[in-house]
Amino acid sequence: MNGFSGTLIDTDILVIGAGAGGLLAALSAKRHGAPGTRVTIADTWLVGRTGHTAFSNAWTVVVEPDDDLEAITREIIAGNDWIADQLLIREVLAMSWNRLKDLEGLDLKFPKDDKGRYIRRPTRGLDETRVLCPEGGGLEFSWRLRRGLEAEGVQILDRTFVTGLMRGRGDAIVGAVGIHSRTGEFYAIKARATVVCTNAITFRSGFVRDITGTGTLLAYKAGATLRNAELSYTRPGTPRFYFEGITFAIQEGARFVNAKGEQFMPRHEPVWGDEADVPRIARAMAIEHQQGNDPLYLDMSLVPEPVRETFIKSKVKWMEYFYRKLGKETQTEIFGSTPYYPQNQMTKMGIRTDAACRSDVPGLLSAGLAQAGAANHFAGFHIGMCIGTGWIAGRSAVEELDRLRAPVLDADEVRALHAESNRERNDAEAAKSDRVLRDLQALMFAWDVSVWKHAARLERALDRLATLRETFGALRAPHTHELVRLKETEAMLLAAEFILRASLYRTESRLSHFREDCDFRDDANWLCWVDICDACGAPQLSRTPIPTPISAPGGPERQSVRRTIRGAP
Amino acid sequence: MIETIDVAHCTGCGICDLVCPADVIHMERFSHESEVPDLAQHKLLPVIKFREHCITCFSCEIFCPETIVDVHPVVRNRPRPW
Repeated sequence: MNGFSGTLIDTDILVIGAGAGGLLAALSAKRHGAPGTRVTIADTWLVGRTGHTAFSNAWTVVVEPDDDLEAITREIIAGNDWIADQLLIREVLAMSWNRLKDLEGLDLKFPKDDKGRYIRRPTRGLDETRVLCPEGGGLEFSWRLRRGLEAEGVQILDRTFVTGLMRGRGDAIVGAVGIHSRTGEFYAIKARATVVCTNAITFRSGFVRDITGTGTLLAYKAGATLRNAELSYTRPGTPRFYFEGITFAIQEGARFVNAKGEQFMPRHEPVWGDEADVPRIARAMAIEHQQGNDPLYLDMSLVPEPVRETFIKSKVKWMEYFYRKLGKETQTEIFGSTPYYPQNQMTKMGIRTDAACRSDVPGLLSAGLAQAGAANHFAGFHIGMCIGTGWIAGRSAVEELDRLRAPVLDADEVRALHAESNRERNDAEAAKSDRVLRDLQALMFAWDVSVWKHAARLERALDRLATLRETFGALRAPHTHELVRLKETEAMLLAAEFILRASLYRTESRLSHFREDCDFRDDANWLCWVDICDACGAPQLSRTPIPTPISAPGGPERQSVRRTIRGAP
Repeated sequence: MIETIDVAHCTGCGICDLVCPADVIHMERFSHESEVPDLAQHKLLPVIKFREHCITCFSCEIFCPETIVDVHPVVRNRPRPW
């Protein structure tokens, strides 16, 4: 093959993706590994300045020594509607205090009160759980970790877009290939253990639209099983503005209202009302729309003006800029007269692993939101899971080093992956993937497909998806920038098929999966994960019963919210 | 979405390009006359290459040491469910 050239990097543990999961996986691998263990972390953009975590407050769950670990574990499992790896969640929570100390060891500061206690907050939909966030939010979190990795001797590959996983001459994953996201230069990274931490597929829809989550699909193509495709993180929001902090605004008195001025959440969620978890709010909003009660608004009039200012002074740096640059009139608009919608942020589809974060494929591990251990997105819990699973995956990757044979590359495979990553580029070609992406977003985010589902609508969406994939197949990239976007859109099209098929497959409603034609939870038949694996080039769906060693459904339903939070910092 | 970079006051440090998570800004080489005849002088300056792919994260503006980048806060082109 002509033009086959690039760079071969040899390492022991390769971590793909540099959000909280990837950063912690790399740190953990270095700290658990014997002296001289080579750890490499690669991200499409700048490690420490990208990923979901970097653009968040970095709220994270921490269980302090005096907290009731079992009660917190049980309420989080219930909050996941039992779509949860219970043992993994308990381990993540149990280690959260030590991880907090690790982060403080990297000079990350967590606010304390005048008695020296950490300042923590409750989070939406949970009573016992408490979350806290570092000074400087996610940007500081991510950058301190980058500096920590540099100090530990981790090799950092910025701007490396991974396009495939290598199987080599055996059954195990032996690393990955990718391209420099600016120059297009080809890289093959040989590794004995590979940890995928690339978040979940987002369709460029979330508030951090650089995240595309392609790693899960690469793992699928390499033989891993995916799960939770029918579940999503859909949160109330407004397309015109970013507003990170709705959870806490509601705790301070904000309420959702419809076009008639009615507070509609108590009608849909009599126990939790506006403090219901985000999937329940999304469901209520979709039904309000179906009933002709939109536009829907977030009424902030009950939140005292000084408290609103605390949201404006968000710890998220970009929000600080955002609010500062908005005029007073626009600030008023966001707090009351801008329509809100259920906005799909990302799928919750992740890689199936055991409680040690090992996938079904030897040498392939997963952490962060690319791992399918939990499916809910409680504010603070998901970053807590990223931190915990990252730590566990890094530790397990080190253990794998002794179990797996030395990786041997397959030259033909590397050439084939190079050819695939080097999709023909044509300077005369206009960038067209944006149009396919917009059509895909319109298809997948329609309220009656993504939130309030129905078998007939899902079938129709599958038909339209097939047409979109045909259009996409003919596209060529004019340059590397577009090539990266094309590869990302290709993964999104595959993810869309899994989401629609899994949504059809699960004939009940649970967590963030709501079927208008099956509007009930069916524990007798569906206390299961929906797993998807490749069977001779076609996705094969199956059920895996969910073990319940800690908590099983069927206990008494909660009758009220115990806590009241006002004026918390 | 990114609006402008005041390149007249840019030092060419390239931080805006480095921190952009959407590959919007590219440093490109510009030639200008030098004080030494036959010796070309170049300067690297940021170019807003893919403005429509800006994710309005403000990173370029936040980290620009010369405060010459302007990002407009209102987001366009976000998908809606209805």
